[in-house]
Amino acid sequence: MSLRRIGVLLGKELFQGPRNFIFVFVIVAPVAISFVMSLIFGTLFAEQPRLGIVDEGRSQLTTSARETAAIAVREYRSIADLRRAVESGSEDMGIVLPADFDSSMSQGERIPVSIFIWGESSSRSRTILGVTVINLVREIAGQEPPLEIDSITLGEEVTVPWNERLLPLIVLMAVFLGGMFLPATSIISEKENHTLAALLVTPATPEDVFVAKGIVGIALSLLSGMVILLLNQAFGAHPLLLILVLALGAVMAAGLGLLMGVALKDVTTLFAIWKLGGILLFGPAFVYMFPQIPAWIGRLFPTYYILQPIVEISQRGVGWETISTNVFVLVVLDLLLVGAVALALRRARRVASLG
Amino acid sequence: MNPRLVGTLVQKDLAVFFRNRLFAMITILGIIAYLVIYSVMPGTIDYTLEIGLYSPVSIPAFEELDQEGLEFVTAPTEEQLRQAVIDGRFIAGISLPADVMARLLAGERPGITVFFAADVTPEMRDAVAMVIQELGHIVTGQTLDIEVSEEVLGLDLGGMPLPPRDRLRPLLAVMLIMVETMGLATLISSELERRTINALLVTPATVADVFIAKGIAGISLAFGQAALFMAIVGGLDKQPLVVLTTLFLGALLVIAAGFLIGAVAKDMLSVLAWSIPVIIILLIPSIAVAFPGSVAGWVEALPSYYLVDTIHRASNFGAGWSDVWQNLIMLLGFVVVLAWVGVVVLRRRMQ
Repeated sequence: MSLRRIGVLLGKELFQGPRNFIFVFVIVAPVAISFVMSLIFGTLFAEQPRLGIVDEGRSQLTTSARETAAIAVREYRSIADLRRAVESGSEDMGIVLPADFDSSMSQGERIPVSIFIWGESSSRSRTILGVTVINLVREIAGQEPPLEIDSITLGEEVTVPWNERLLPLIVLMAVFLGGMFLPATSIISEKENHTLAALLVTPATPEDVFVAKGIVGIALSLLSGMVILLLNQAFGAHPLLLILVLALGAVMAAGLGLLMGVALKDVTTLFAIWKLGGILLFGPAFVYMFPQIPAWIGRLFPTYYILQPIVEISQRGVGWETISTNVFVLVVLDLLLVGAVALALRRARRVASLG
Repeated sequence: MNPRLVGTLVQKDLAVFFRNRLFAMITILGIIAYLVIYSVMPGTIDYTLEIGLYSPVSIPAFEELDQEGLEFVTAPTEEQLRQAVIDGRFIAGISLPADVMARLLAGERPGITVFFAADVTPEMRDAVAMVIQELGHIVTGQTLDIEVSEEVLGLDLGGMPLPPRDRLRPLLAVMLIMVETMGLATLISSELERRTINALLVTPATVADVFIAKGIAGISLAFGQAALFMAIVGGLDKQPLVVLTTLFLGALLVIAAGFLIGAVAKDMLSVLAWSIPVIIILLIPSIAVAFPGSVAGWVEALPSYYLVDTIHRASNFGAGWSDVWQNLIMLLGFVVVLAWVGVVVLRRRMQ
């Protein structure tokens, strides 16, 4: 194995790669999936009604509304902007506060207020927004809350929001789309075009070729995983630990990709296997999504040992002590995979000689 | 044009298409997956805030605020109220002490207990607290002197929004159409790559016959799947002719895009590389319809906006020809321009 040759091959993979569809697939797909998931679970099932405000003075209502968890608030510069936002459904309701709103309210003067309501908003959202705004106006008018509320939580079930439940699936998809597909398609293409045989006529060894392709897969996988975590603001309290787990996951993804590259004849078969194999890879993410499924089932999948530390670090803020066992298992799985790739190299020599 | 030849070419193209395991699988699994997605999405929307109430005394203010969007359900005992909250029948349960009215009217600040199930979000807890405080204000007779002018913008559904599955229906139908861009582009690309198109042109088939056959094969796949999906999920219940016409124009749009990609791409990987960005771009307007307010107004510059907006308005709100004719003309215009460009590029490639 020669470091210089690996460097040359790495350069070839990196600079010729962007023309390949896989780069589109691995960069565009995770971002698109993340975007769509956040839209579905951030918009369609969002419980917070949205209020748009045009504040012509500097009303306390705007500040208080921002601090209220019951509603989501966005400020607009002009009434025309607010109307457009409400009409398009960006806001469930829009309110225009005149410049002298606070002073008029505190002095008990009658004041005109314009309200826009999105026609497709739910009556539930309209009620919550209406009641919240009235409460805030009462505060400005100096009316004290008349009741002392004692909240009691019943039951023990702690709900994980859907966007958090989906994060493991999105991270795994990002890691495996890039890390697995790139080495696999790269080797398959070389085989189909008979360029692998040509390459091995040069001083480059199969080890050099596989290491170069593996490094590109690992780098891309790691990058995609980090992009997804950044997009979802899920780096948690231990970003370096998280990157370490992602890197180990990327090794697993690239190892599987190299093995598939050796074993499969064409890209169509790769896609067909992906459809079935994907279920096995993403199994633990589905177990995490649906708490009704017994958690021990997740442990049967190798990707559990990537997913669980990621969830623990990014969502529960834990450190090395809690995740160390799972990380060790992941390291062992990676080593086994590296061994399997080494065995596959022998097969690669045969492929080259046949190619 | 020779109809018999075109028919034979269409048959051949469909056979070639389904011989490709990847696309055949995508086609069959696609419809099933989309139907599953549609069926698991909520078909109804909970547009009222249902709150349980245990009160030893009658409080008229609750009836005053018991309006559309808010419903109070009385529980006979506090224990039953707690159980109903745990069972998820109410989003919250309010337990009022017997002297609450007297203390409120005396200007005191009485304490009340509100039960929440563990899975109720902080946002919803805050909202319920706001509702309860407003009830207190009403009971104590505190008024606000505000002159409110209210205007409803857009189509007024009276507080009963579309269920998520109906909102997503146009997106799913358009996705089914768009995926066929890849299928058609592969058909064309593989003919060019293997030079079988040259062999075809040695036969009595003309270039026009080949284009028309490919177009018909693509349309039957794209339009057929989308129409089948819409028929199964009830998307043709309102204005079926408008919806079907729009889907047909959408299929034509995909054919035009497929011609272009097929002409540019060299092989199957290249088809995928070109198709994915094109499909994503064409799907952006569907996202704007499915998730209102998520995308800015520039989506109207994309041809698929006129496709998805028409399907949405016709299938969900029953918009007729007079409401959507401008959309259809815009869509047709885009189709003509794209198809012309596609045919020109493809002709050049063939030469």
